[in-house]
Amino acid sequence: MESLFLIKPGEILLKKENQKEFTRRLIQQLHKRLGDIGCTIEEYPGRFFLFIDERFSGRAEFVLRHCPGLNGFSKAIMCPKMLEAILDASETVASKAIASGGRRFKVETRRSDKSFPHGSYATCAKAGEFLLEKFPQLTVDVRNPDFVINIEIRERAYVYGHTEPGARGLPSGTSGKGLLLLSGGIDSPVAGYMMAKRGAPLECVYFHAYPYTSEEAQRKVEHLALRIAAWCGSLRLWVIPFTEVQMRIKKLAAEDATTIMLRSAMMEAADKLAFKIGADAIITGESLGQVASQTAENMAITGAPSRLPIFRPLIGIDKEETVSMAKKISTFDISILPYEDCCVLFSPKHPLLKPNFAEQTKAYKDMELGSLIDESLGRAEKFVYKYREVLEDFGIE
Amino acid sequence: MTYLDWAATTPPDSELLHRSLEESIELYGNPSSPHRPGKAAKILLEDARSRLLALLSPRRAERKRGGTLVFTASGTEADQIPMLALLRNPMRGNASTPAGQARPHLVISAIEHAAIFAQAETLARLGFDLTLVRPNADGILSAATVAEAIRPSTKLVAAMAVNNETGAIQDIGAIGDALVSAAASLGMPAPLFHVDCVQALGKIPLDLSSAKITSAAFSAHKLQGPKGVGALWCAKPIEALASGGGQESGTRSGTENLFGISAFAACASKAISALETHREIAFSLEDRLLRGIRCIPGASVLPLGRMPRDSRWSPWIVSAAFPGLGGEVLARALSDLGIAVSTGSACSHTRAAKGRRILDAMGVPEPLAFSAIRISVGPTTRPEDIDLFLSSAEDLYRALKT
Repeated sequence: MESLFLIKPGEILLKKENQKEFTRRLIQQLHKRLGDIGCTIEEYPGRFFLFIDERFSGRAEFVLRHCPGLNGFSKAIMCPKMLEAILDASETVASKAIASGGRRFKVETRRSDKSFPHGSYATCAKAGEFLLEKFPQLTVDVRNPDFVINIEIRERAYVYGHTEPGARGLPSGTSGKGLLLLSGGIDSPVAGYMMAKRGAPLECVYFHAYPYTSEEAQRKVEHLALRIAAWCGSLRLWVIPFTEVQMRIKKLAAEDATTIMLRSAMMEAADKLAFKIGADAIITGESLGQVASQTAENMAITGAPSRLPIFRPLIGIDKEETVSMAKKISTFDISILPYEDCCVLFSPKHPLLKPNFAEQTKAYKDMELGSLIDESLGRAEKFVYKYREVLEDFGIE
Repeated sequence: MTYLDWAATTPPDSELLHRSLEESIELYGNPSSPHRPGKAAKILLEDARSRLLALLSPRRAERKRGGTLVFTASGTEADQIPMLALLRNPMRGNASTPAGQARPHLVISAIEHAAIFAQAETLARLGFDLTLVRPNADGILSAATVAEAIRPSTKLVAAMAVNNETGAIQDIGAIGDALVSAAASLGMPAPLFHVDCVQALGKIPLDLSSAKITSAAFSAHKLQGPKGVGALWCAKPIEALASGGGQESGTRSGTENLFGISAFAACASKAISALETHREIAFSLEDRLLRGIRCIPGASVLPLGRMPRDSRWSPWIVSAAFPGLGGEVLARALSDLGIAVSTGSACSHTRAAKGRRILDAMGVPEPLAFSAIRISVGPTTRPEDIDLFLSSAEDLYRALKT
């Protein structure tokens, strides 16, 4: 048996000259994520159709829910453009909705093939009448229905009920590559998810300060990276041994400046890594004023070592919203596992809130951490997460 | 591996465990069965019980006074049974106390193991009033302070014999006496007095027969026995909350773990009969350890006032602070060098809040508490093991201190 998914692309429809390229990327991503399962994707203006073996419809739904670039999707029935066939299909869709408790309904019809003899309104009326006769328990309610029977008359006719929301945004690969600073906390995975939705392929970097941070803390970050890969398709995680750099900072920096110095060093390392892997931007989970090191003044200093743009998608998002997004993308429960990250161990009692830019950037340069950072990058460990592992992690066949 | 975490668990006594295993394979009957295999198993079970009971109350005359020993699946279970039994009688203790009557009250020390502490918090959520008695800065409870905490509605008092993180020994006899006289002056029957003896049995001299204890908990794997077996000594049988087939005088239903019980009895008698010799070993290891820690610049023994051979501490357990270096970090780095120590109770590491509850209760300043590790030894620990720990800890501390 074959399943059909009707896919509604979103933002890419707003593109003009580039629409073709964006569409190509979206379809490429869908094929890549569905992997070796045979499937066909048909592309029509404003709608894509995915045909896949019924046994893999669970995987298809997972892929469609997590693939940026589409607004929503529905499991649909395809039929000839004949009223009788359309009514039969609407009966099937309605009986499913009734089984899950739906009683009030309405019918909506889109007729882009104007050669179909019945108008949109007439088709709705005929289908409504037909369903009321078949299912006496139903009533029509156009304002507040429990379910909607959608009929689309295009190159063929399609009938479907519920539309599942997609990730929206832009297809992976349509924006420049981002290097995400992943800490193990709640914020950075959400920042990664948000940029993945803007079409950025991602790589992640984690600064490991063994023995100050535990192996468990690193395992946690590896798991978070895998969860983020669900949105961008696949990714690489770079684990940078940062203990020596931290020790040097602790030794040389003024106590109240250790946090910004450490963050500056991480930014320098991220910038160097970004050039090595061909990333076009750096992504952090910073949110204005959330902690002492995330003031505008501090971000000016900690961002200074990077030559690339720094994306901070959470900058204006409050903690509650971030937490609810983290729950939605299944990273929250991993993030709150009790393994400290390096920042916890290097937080001065009274960190600088409004540091002087010139003074602190000079103090940072004077520490001459460059060669130590290069050396730590040379010892980086690389983890590659393929989409197959994502599916395993979520228990999808 | 240099194993210095005996307070978490101990290397099993292979010979005794094998012997008990063979015995339990041969005598496989259910001790509650009336047939011969059952009776044979019953004899083995009762023999283990009376041996252990004799070890716990060495004085024959006192022993006749009564007291039973109930085998459980762990020290934790042995701690839970008397506490949960309070829920049996609504008049005596739970949320449905009739109007006008005071809510039932519990007194526990603030340094109890999670088996008592978390259970008491659960009872508090179910409607009990809970008083935590703090120790002094040395981690020692004052008998008078414990006794002052009781009131007419007090149903149970719990205090541990040896603290699992600091090794502090509590004067259980004095606390029991103080409770009895405080209760008399309030004109009330003395509350139940439960003592967690998990870190005491086979480690320090212990005599239940002389104290006003109503119940006490033990665990086999702390003295080289197997995991999964503990015991509850009780002055009178306890009507437990959990019901079942009525084994173990009805206090702990469930078919007995004959292998574990027989191994427990064997390991306990070996440890207790060798107690004096072992204690000499322990004192010399303690001496080496305390002096050595004090020689590491910046490091200190917790509590600061602890001296070798001080009778207020079990020589088997030592807590030390390395300020400026998180206890977990040092433990992790030592582990990489093949030395196993811990940062307090192994049982609290799985919980989300990794506080230093016991050191906090003693008023240990946060930088010291944060950097604390626990070194615990056993009779097979060698002086070289201590020396290796000391030199490694000193090197790591110098290299990693922040």
